[in-house]
Amino acid sequence: MAGPTTDVTTAAAADDPAVGLRAIRALRELADRLEVLQVGNARGRGWSWQQIAEALGVTRQAVHKKHARSRKDD
Amino acid sequence: MFERFTQEARRVVVGAQAEARELRAEKIEPVHLLLALTEDDSRGGAALRSCGVDHESARSAVVRAGSPLDADALAAFGIDLEQVRAAAEAAFGPGALEQGKPEPGGHIPFADGSKRALEESLRAVLRRGRRRGGAIDSGHVLLGVLAVADPLVQRVLAELGVARGSLEGQLGDSSAA
Repeated sequence: MAGPTTDVTTAAAADDPAVGLRAIRALRELADRLEVLQVGNARGRGWSWQQIAEALGVTRQAVHKKHARSRKDD
Repeated sequence: MFERFTQEARRVVVGAQAEARELRAEKIEPVHLLLALTEDDSRGGAALRSCGVDHESARSAVVRAGSPLDADALAAFGIDLEQVRAAAEAAFGPGALEQGKPEPGGHIPFADGSKRALEESLRAVLRRGRRRGGAIDSGHVLLGVLAVADPLVQRVLAELGVARGSLEGQLGDSSAA
């Protein structure tokens, strides 16, 4: 029962479809931006597209198509 | 269709593209038209200013309400965006989370909502066609933006405490609906 006020507020907001759907959109956006950073970092450290793809659980083609264009290397 | 637009209205359309680019949006949304309208010297901008909407307050409302990284919504699920931001910046430097998103280059397309807003601006002229020359001015563009009832525009106006009706009233178009 620690912090019941906070819990109730959070539950109420998370229960609102408008808030929930906006949060989903924000999570996707956040994941996309972090992915750009992480893929850039990995490439900078010499990771191959194949290694990055495996870590992300996607195909090499998918990760290359998504990120190679916005990066100067290949 | 832009041949019917006044000089000011064209400037708003061009300005909306600049707003979209600055906010790193992939498309020109109605809210970018709204932001461009706040800098308009003509009828549309005047209506916004008379309701207390200036570019700075509108832009910060758009960033708050419209950033895809919606801090309030994330907080409802226990995610503290500031902590995520701090972690990203610790690893990748200041502004890392913003830089993570590439700034769109070249031409930015209109979102469907903006296309409809521009169509509605033409409709706003036609409603008053007998009295005016038939040109689409910045006031009509603002009426068009209001007419499409874009959720983000509505949230921004609500945050700024501006009722759609009072803007339409300023433009002498309270009979819009």
